[in-house]
Amino acid sequence: MRAGSEMTGPVALTLAGISKRFGATLALRPLELEVPAGRILALLGPSGCGKTTTLRVIAGFEVPDSGAVLLGGRDVTELPPNRRGLGMVFQNYSLFPHMSVAENVAFGLRMRRLPRAERDARVQEMLEVVRLPGYGDRYAHQLSGGQQQRVALARALITRPAVLLLDEPLGALDKALREGMQFELRELQRRFGITTILVTHDQEEALTMSDSIAVMSAGEVVQTGTPREVYERPRTRFVAEFLGTANVFAATVTGAAPGGWAVRLDGADAAAALATPEPPQPGRRILFAVRPERLRIQPAGAGIPATVRDAVFRGSYLVHELAVPGLAAPVFVYGQAGAADAPPGAAVGLAWRAEDAVPLADPP
Amino acid sequence: MSARRPHRAAPLLWLAPALAFLALFFVAPLGGNLLRSLTEGQAQDDAAFYYAKLLTDEYYLSVMWETIRVSLITTLICLAVGYPVALFLVRHAGRWHGVLLFLLVAPLLTSIIMRTFGWRVLLARRGLLSNTLLDLGLIARPLDLLNDPVSVFVGLVHVLVPFMVLSIAAVLQGIDRRLEESARVLGASRLRAFLSVTLPLSVEGMATGAILVFMLTNGSFVTMLLLGGGKVVTMPLLIYQQFTMTQDLAFASAMGNVLLLAALACLALQVGMLRRRGMA
Repeated sequence: MRAGSEMTGPVALTLAGISKRFGATLALRPLELEVPAGRILALLGPSGCGKTTTLRVIAGFEVPDSGAVLLGGRDVTELPPNRRGLGMVFQNYSLFPHMSVAENVAFGLRMRRLPRAERDARVQEMLEVVRLPGYGDRYAHQLSGGQQQRVALARALITRPAVLLLDEPLGALDKALREGMQFELRELQRRFGITTILVTHDQEEALTMSDSIAVMSAGEVVQTGTPREVYERPRTRFVAEFLGTANVFAATVTGAAPGGWAVRLDGADAAAALATPEPPQPGRRILFAVRPERLRIQPAGAGIPATVRDAVFRGSYLVHELAVPGLAAPVFVYGQAGAADAPPGAAVGLAWRAEDAVPLADPP
Repeated sequence: MSARRPHRAAPLLWLAPALAFLALFFVAPLGGNLLRSLTEGQAQDDAAFYYAKLLTDEYYLSVMWETIRVSLITTLICLAVGYPVALFLVRHAGRWHGVLLFLLVAPLLTSIIMRTFGWRVLLARRGLLSNTLLDLGLIARPLDLLNDPVSVFVGLVHVLVPFMVLSIAAVLQGIDRRLEESARVLGASRLRAFLSVTLPLSVEGMATGAILVFMLTNGSFVTMLLLGGGKVVTMPLLIYQQFTMTQDLAFASAMGNVLLLAALACLALQVGMLRRRGMA
């Protein structure tokens, strides 16, 4: 693929066994990742987890120590960034400060030596797509953060890239603008049907914008799945707590229960159930997680005994903070706003449906 | 508004010592110079005498042209030599950054006389360079670089290139590397990315360096005096001769003023060029 050619349709992106070492630190352990053509995958993780390195390997700024980057089945591992036909939006947008908006957007086409007339027409068209018609003559410093973001997007999309790389694209925007842009970006991605990788440390952004999420930690992908799968069935404590809030309990398996295991909670000495396809191993000690919105507060005597520590009104929902005997961390319960709140100090019972409790792979 | 007035006076107060110093040691002598050039010597009868002589006499005009030519060539050499060094310093030096910076500024720590005599020792007819080349059999006869304009440029570039490098490096330091990376992803080769992003963004640094080197060359005479062998005669050298040999102080003053004016004109020209590019 020469820089002059353009991709005809969306292609799948595959990372096969990519590893990268910087000096003594292993930035990426052998890593497998697959983004189907036209889909958007979020690389989610805390800073330093290797998500930016992964993106730089895909872009061609870093050459991996092992493994291959495949674009639509073609090995591009050794190709320089300018020969990969990608689009990229950086966190700070990286608009060229010495060029006007139109010149910025036209840059990729200029590199492809497109005739001037066609270039100008496509720039106008692209500026309309990102809702900035008539902004062509301005400079980046004359635009708001959201406008700069849209120019960066226009510049990346105008070459009709095979894959779009977004590096924390909304990180520099304020909250209100960010939410609007999340939907706008998602809309554009769908419209262009472009295979996209979104690097973010913002779980909400990952949930809102992506078809699938790969959660990374310490240079590894620890779990991949649809946002729903990853949120509802986190495999480890790290995933459960990084993506949303999770209440983690320690327990001992006592036997089988309908659809899963019967367990006995450590400390609280109360019985509970959780859902898993695996056969139970009585006596095994495990950790499991329940999302706060899946917990129910019941009158004292039913479920696991607990004491209300605090109740906080958060607008669209209510947060109860409970103390469960034998559990060091507080348990959070989200309820619908408008529901009666239990007063601090009240003795209550805590319950959940077996299918809402997820066993974690971590050792207790 | 009025409540803020008292604060405005304070910064001026801080400037007072510097202003007083400049008034006493810079403005006053300049004024004296101007007065001397218009009233003393042959200017006693005709105030414009020396200026008319300078601006009409072919010899003096050629010296003025030579001054600008030498300054321009030195500036261009410094730019060509300094830019790659600045780029390396900012982008690739890593932990050697400090060491390189010291090596770069080191020439400025020696006095100009010592440095220039050093070059004389190296470049002389029977000097280190010539002898080494002879011993290696690379040349048949001793090189007489010392009496060649080349040695003037060697001496000037040696001492002035740090100004160029530091001016450019300061600007390069502030250019986000992700800009070049953006260009790469958009299809620019390494060279294209440099030419279309980094180079235009560093124009300001190049201009600052060029102004500095140009002005400093304009005013230097020790290098021309000791390395030029009388072949490179510029205004400062002429002033020096008027002052020490002819002792025509009024004429020397007039030359100094013309040189100053020429330098200011060049400065204005360069600043104007920057303005047009929207850089300053």
